[in-house]
Amino acid sequence: MNMNDDDERRLVQLLADMNEDEGAALAKKMLLEDKVAPLRVLELCRAAMEIVGKRFEAQEYFLPELVLAGEMLDNIGKIAKPLITGGLGGDTNKLGRVLIGTVHGDLHDIGKNIVTFMLDINGFEVKDIGVDVPVQTFVDEIRAFKPDVVGLSGFLTLAFDSMKETIEAIDQAGVRSRIKIMIGGGQVDETVRAYTGADAFGVNAVEAVALGKKWMGATV
Amino acid sequence: MTQSFPIQFIGERINPGFKSTKALFDNSDIRGIQALAVKQAETGAAYLNVNTGSRALTDPGFMVEVIRAIQDVVHVPLSFDFPSTEVQRLCFRAYDPAKARGRKAILNSITEHRWGLADLAREFPLRVILMSSERVEEGVAKGNKTAEQIYGTCCRGVERLCSEYSLTADDILLDMSVSAIIADTDGLSDNTLQAMTLVHRDPALGGVHMMGGLSNIAQQLPPRAVDGSDLKHSLECAFLTIAVPRGLDTVLGTPWRQYQPLAEDNYVLQAYRTFLASRGSNALRAVRKFYRA
Repeated sequence: MNMNDDDERRLVQLLADMNEDEGAALAKKMLLEDKVAPLRVLELCRAAMEIVGKRFEAQEYFLPELVLAGEMLDNIGKIAKPLITGGLGGDTNKLGRVLIGTVHGDLHDIGKNIVTFMLDINGFEVKDIGVDVPVQTFVDEIRAFKPDVVGLSGFLTLAFDSMKETIEAIDQAGVRSRIKIMIGGGQVDETVRAYTGADAFGVNAVEAVALGKKWMGATV
Repeated sequence: MTQSFPIQFIGERINPGFKSTKALFDNSDIRGIQALAVKQAETGAAYLNVNTGSRALTDPGFMVEVIRAIQDVVHVPLSFDFPSTEVQRLCFRAYDPAKARGRKAILNSITEHRWGLADLAREFPLRVILMSSERVEEGVAKGNKTAEQIYGTCCRGVERLCSEYSLTADDILLDMSVSAIIADTDGLSDNTLQAMTLVHRDPALGGVHMMGGLSNIAQQLPPRAVDGSDLKHSLECAFLTIAVPRGLDTVLGTPWRQYQPLAEDNYVLQAYRTFLASRGSNALRAVRKFYRA
């Protein structure tokens, strides 16, 4: 990215450093007063998010920064997207579709909600089908929504069996080959991934986004 | 080890959620697990929780082996942490009350949604942990979000356990489901503390215990608070400072950690009170105040 403009550098810096109010004000000024191309502003936001993601991986930032930065991006996006002409910014720009839910027998939703939010603000079209989701509902929703990725969430140990049942049912329904399945939550690890038959597991929202991007062939 | 708070500990360390314990399980290191049990008992644990994680599914016999090995070296009663009737039945069959000086093991845990596990109370003498975080409404399981919902689940569960299963109030531990604060934007932590007050004030729930898992609170937070203190420990102390006067008397935690009430002007306690009063994005901003000035 060529960042000759002071405002551009400053916007990335403000957002990456979590200066929420100043960052939002500058983005608004650039969009509404300076008439900077909205796609350019969104590109700068994504650059800031990349820095935030790297700081999260380096344990300099934590979940609150990740979510608050996502909110900043979301809020700026709400101003920028209506300004985009030529049909850009709609679903045509989505990286892919993700269906996500907490498997049956488990009602935990905090981790799932964070992953849903992070996937959404990172360019995926996400359908969250809630908690305690029956196996058949996952199969029906896959047929209807046609996702590229399915995310199974569960916090309890009993969720491992539910994940396994769900993946087996998806397999038996003949829709497994066209999707990738990720699992997450609680004590999910490689042993659990192998037990459930999922394609991959993630231990946080950043990993979920990285997996989704990798599977969609996008830059992580 | 004497704690400053009037609380009893259910030792939490025999759980693969702890990396060092996972290594013991991965290597089937029974002697190492025994040493961990002894360390918790010697530092004051009233109970030892046993959770072998996903291995309980693939290798339930291992859980039995672990229970017997622990009982060979400590007299502290155990708590079995697995949401499956079959696995729990294996655990209770393996458990020898005589080795725990006649004390009952704990069934950890039941919910309104997974009530079937309570039938084990007809097969074995036991105490039970009732999760207050979930309810069943018109046949549908739902997560409790408000203090009234949490309290309602406690009332219904206690009544049922006493009347249908002949458990005493002392046999029942209400798990108040202490949330990780890092993602709590809905006020769940605050509502849980309010529910404790409701339970504590209800004479119909007298003698019932209230418990919480301390290690959840500071999950995924950085190690140091703004005031230079150990953030995890300070936060756990802050929680206990507020929760113990509301009736919390049992903690699922690490017994060799020393907890003490925090002064009102303590930085972390003040930040915790601010967090409890915050909702939505402001709750996340309040969380940041713990570790960023």
